[in-house]
Amino acid sequence: MFDYGAIYPEIILILFAVAIPALHLLLKSSRALAGISLVGVAASAGMVVYYLLNGYPGMIGSENSPLIVFDALAAVFSLVFLSVAFVAILASARYVENDRHLAEYFTLILMATAGMMLVASAQDLLTIYIGIEIASMATYALVAFRKRDKRGSEAAVKYVIIGGLSSALSLYGISLLFGVTGTTSLVGINEALAAQGIDLATILSVGLLIAGFGFKIAIAPFHMWAPDVYEGAPTPVSAFLAAASKKMGLVVMFKVFIVGLIAIKADWDIVVGVVAILTMTIGNVIALSQTNIKRMLAYSSIAQAGYMLMALPLATVVGDFAITAGIFHIITHAFMKSGAFIVVAALAYVAIGESVADYKGLAKRAPFMAFSMAIFMFALAGIPPLSGFMSKVVLLSASVQAAEITQWMLWLGVALVLNSALSLYYYVRVIKYMYVEKGESTAKIKVPVSLTVAIAVCMVATIVLGLFFDPVLDLCSEAARTLFPAMA
Amino acid sequence: MIPIEYFLALSGILFVIGALGVLTKKNAIVVLMSVEVMLNAANINFVAFSAFYGSLNGAIFALVSIAIAAAEVAVGLAIIMNLYKTRDTISLNKINLLRW
Repeated sequence: MFDYGAIYPEIILILFAVAIPALHLLLKSSRALAGISLVGVAASAGMVVYYLLNGYPGMIGSENSPLIVFDALAAVFSLVFLSVAFVAILASARYVENDRHLAEYFTLILMATAGMMLVASAQDLLTIYIGIEIASMATYALVAFRKRDKRGSEAAVKYVIIGGLSSALSLYGISLLFGVTGTTSLVGINEALAAQGIDLATILSVGLLIAGFGFKIAIAPFHMWAPDVYEGAPTPVSAFLAAASKKMGLVVMFKVFIVGLIAIKADWDIVVGVVAILTMTIGNVIALSQTNIKRMLAYSSIAQAGYMLMALPLATVVGDFAITAGIFHIITHAFMKSGAFIVVAALAYVAIGESVADYKGLAKRAPFMAFSMAIFMFALAGIPPLSGFMSKVVLLSASVQAAEITQWMLWLGVALVLNSALSLYYYVRVIKYMYVEKGESTAKIKVPVSLTVAIAVCMVATIVLGLFFDPVLDLCSEAARTLFPAMA
Repeated sequence: MIPIEYFLALSGILFVIGALGVLTKKNAIVVLMSVEVMLNAANINFVAFSAFYGSLNGAIFALVSIAIAAAEVAVGLAIIMNLYKTRDTISLNKINLLRW
């Protein structure tokens, strides 16, 4: 079957992405270009919602080896990527207005989003690889966007080299997996592995895949690049990377390991579990000593990636419930982390530094900024009734459920709780600086409207997802079930 | 026909050479070249297995990955050139503004 409907959302984005540089010749203002990009994102999201309500389009590829299938999982992740792109573009409209090559900036964000959405609907290692590379290459250029910025150019070089290494590792892993099974279709790989069992080449390829995708998600011990890149990149791009690009890596992990490698789950579940615990612990411990707020947020998103990765070993026992929890945490984290980064961007726009100490007395100078930052910090730490609390509760209950069958899985839950307690210190420190300490200046700060709107969107989502989570959780559960065809 | 083990040995050696290059070299362009060697090691695997199984899947994957690698080098070199313009160096141990 060959139904182009499966990639209409991506096609819409790419049409807009291609049109924007041409339109830049007519429209000089960054606000107009941002507006057009937002229309593109909204149109694509409209297409996704249409599929969500009226049934999904046909697949690309054959029944035995599908290439692209737009299912519930793809729809949920597409909406996550699109909403992050939406707030990132909204926040960028004023942030980049004095830069050259404005049109390219918006084109690259749309291209990256299209690549991520392609990954979310891919069912074959070939399409997954293409999607990852589309998204990666666009984000390399986005990180380097401020060409004269010394830190930006350094961050871009580190990112491009680590990104290349990560592609090389995962590509070699894919090639070995192809050699062992004779196919690149995820379903086919699983069938072949179930039939022939595991050998040295399979173990090697699984290791390479964990390392390759691990670099993309920035899980320990492959996380060293992330703080440097998030600090050096333009702040809306950091938000985009932390909230969207990282989630792309996670959806790849979910797909490859649950659909493709579930037959050999006994050989990878404990490895991924240990990596998840290591990631959340390292991320939180190093975040404690950070004074630059972007670096602190970067380490915090490393830790959060550890929480999301927890879902993978849990899923080998409790199946779709664990993945539901993982997806829900991915959604809530997308909003709270991009919100926090955009607050930093908004304050940087009005010349407030990126050091935590620069936020002293902010509550008096910019009440809305300080309040929304406090909400994001509390949500990231997991304080009820915010969304970050709910998603951690679901993850925790998945781990308790899994522990009834496989005992060591309880340690994942214990690590989650201990780490949340640990992380409270550095999240609350920001709030203390904003609300308790007195700053040198008390002059009011005026933040541009577009940035305020972007922050408000994230804040509303963070609060609403914590209170009315049932419909979202149902959607996550529908998405998670597509990974387990036997149960659907 | 050449046995498949020969191809695997070749690609394994290339992959290790590339990985060592990435880990030890300090010049950004040499590191990028090492990454390319690793990618090409994977391509050899794809083509060899493709012939081994008598299916075109692997060969197609290799073609796609060659195209992607070319694009990646273009982006990478542009970024390295930009580094040279702002910092007058492409040595990876001299770029240390960002660290904890």
